[in-house]
Amino acid sequence: MKKFFHLIKANIKKEYIEMKRYWPNTLSMVLTIYFIFLAMFLGIQFVGDPNQADTNIQYVIVNYIFWYLTLITLQGPGFTITLEATRGTLEQLYMSPMGVWKIFLSRQIGTVIIHFFIIVVLLFASMLMTNQWLNISPLATLPIFLFTIIGMIGVSFIIAGLAIIVKQIQAFLQIMQFILMALTFIPLSVAPFLAYAPFVKGIDMIRQIMIHNMTLADFTWLDYALLIASAAFYFAIGIFTYLRCEKIAMEKGLLGQY
Amino acid sequence: MGSMIEVKSVKKAYKKRKTKERITAVNHVSFTVNRGEILGLLGPNGAGKTTTIKMICGLLVPDEGTVVINGYDIKKERLKALRHISAVLEGNRNLYWRLTVRENLEYFAGNRGFGRKDIHSKIEELLSLFRLKKKEHELVNNLSRGMQQKLAIAVAMMADTDIILLDEPTLGLDVETGYEVRELLRYITDKEGKTIIISTHDMPVVQDLCKRTVIINEGKVVTDEQVDNLIKLFETRAYSIKLRSPLSDNQLQLLQEKIPMHDYHDHMLEVTLEQDDDIYILMDILRDKHTKIEKMDRTTVDFEQVFMTLLKGEGYNEKVLSSH
Ligand SMILES: Nc1ncnc2c1ncn2[C@@H]1O[C@H](COP(=O)(O)OP(=O)(O)OP(=O)(O)O)[C@@H](O)[C@H]1O
Ligand SMILES: [Mg+2]
Repeated sequence: MKKFFHLIKANIKKEYIEMKRYWPNTLSMVLTIYFIFLAMFLGIQFVGDPNQADTNIQYVIVNYIFWYLTLITLQGPGFTITLEATRGTLEQLYMSPMGVWKIFLSRQIGTVIIHFFIIVVLLFASMLMTNQWLNISPLATLPIFLFTIIGMIGVSFIIAGLAIIVKQIQAFLQIMQFILMALTFIPLSVAPFLAYAPFVKGIDMIRQIMIHNMTLADFTWLDYALLIASAAFYFAIGIFTYLRCEKIAMEKGLLGQY
Repeated sequence: MGSMIEVKSVKKAYKKRKTKERITAVNHVSFTVNRGEILGLLGPNGAGKTTTIKMICGLLVPDEGTVVINGYDIKKERLKALRHISAVLEGNRNLYWRLTVRENLEYFAGNRGFGRKDIHSKIEELLSLFRLKKKEHELVNNLSRGMQQKLAIAVAMMADTDIILLDEPTLGLDVETGYEVRELLRYITDKEGKTIIISTHDMPVVQDLCKRTVIINEGKVVTDEQVDNLIKLFETRAYSIKLRSPLSDNQLQLLQEKIPMHDYHDHMLEVTLEQDDDIYILMDILRDKHTKIEKMDRTTVDFEQVFMTLLKGEGYNEKVLSSH
């Protein structure tokens, strides 16, 4: 456990160092998100009365946040594998007695914490600038967010498994952006069956809280059961798939950049 | 003094991406390395050294056979086995080029579950031992090839494992840096009591550092011997002969046929005999034209000659070792 903690610390630090060292990239990313937020919030002001007709725009903002976080989370390990296989450090990662999936999990935790922090700060900055307030209520949203992310991380491991075997997954990641858009943007009331898809249930619950001012007590036990079961299921499937692929890669000699 | 690494009849074939043809890179290789032993893994390009090393460190699963590390089967208990192994793999791709020297050391230590406090003094020690202290905040990207290689070795040392695998640690280094790396390796091998496999083409490295050598060619073990024994064996077979008169064409022809390992110019004949009895053949060739010998000495052999001789010709090797 202590070792895992050190592993997480080392990987968060690496992420942080690289963001700081390549700050022009980081800055342009941050500014882009900030301007998109601003534009959307200003949209509420210009379109009309914020108290009534603008749930639509609030939807778009919450959706955008999740689309962004989902994209970052899902691409993480797959992208790392493709990149580090060509740079040659992948094999060194595979020499760690901690197991590579734990390294990737630590990196995911680091990525999520850092990007979540950026998003929250920018969100508040934009709300302040435009004086339009979403109901953030962290006590309600954070626990749901946690389970949602666990499911997402699961799916990211499926993509990682694919990446070690196929390596060229850029095209796939591009298409995935649109699938993600569908998953994060379509409300469950429109397509109820999507509740079984990964992480959709959690996002829907958070939307209910942030936009419709619901509280944790407003959800049924069924909602929670679905949320937790979905997270556990996709996480387990993700790790399992990834470990299978890892084994195939070691049998076929796919870890190096031959 | 049990065996630390047991390689048991491992086989590995790769499928070529394009042609789908299978090439057998390693073909039933077996050897063991004892605790504290320094083994040189030699062989020409494409012999299967890297493939063997990757199977030992669990990056490749053998098609057949097993590798046992300190009692753990690398296939069944991979992560437990990996606690005992660190490796510097071929080339200069073992490090993060966008991190500094110190950050690399810290990151890889963290990846093995070490906390920053646990390793603080170890990092200082390694930085000064590897003479990297002045460069500790330099990006790896800006280091010379030699420094990168030193850092890669330092990162492997950082892991503090019983076993270190080094795949061509001096490849692509200039003479001076190569020498420095060799001295560092000597320090490690002398002091720490670690079990080490060095794959290399660099014969001075073998002669200086390795007690024993396994030579593989085309995926098979051709020799598994103590380096000293091999050199002694060959010392009795290498002669430097000064002649009074030149050799005739016919004599040269015979030499070519019977004693292929020779070199002749300016009345000097250097020969390496394949077996002890070949000395009579040599004498017969010289007697043929009554060639007078002015002086005849045993030559000191270096490991390079031994290596080249061992690789020449199938079956030759059994002759050498059985006559020994
Ligand atoms: N991933 C791979 N896919 C296909 N063929 C491979 C792969 N890795 C190695 N080979 C082939 O296997 C054989 C053995 O290669 P290996 O790299 O083990 O040799 P080596 O002894 O390390 O050679 P060198 O001295 O050049 O480093 C070679 O013929 C090589 O072309
Ligand atoms: Mg090699």
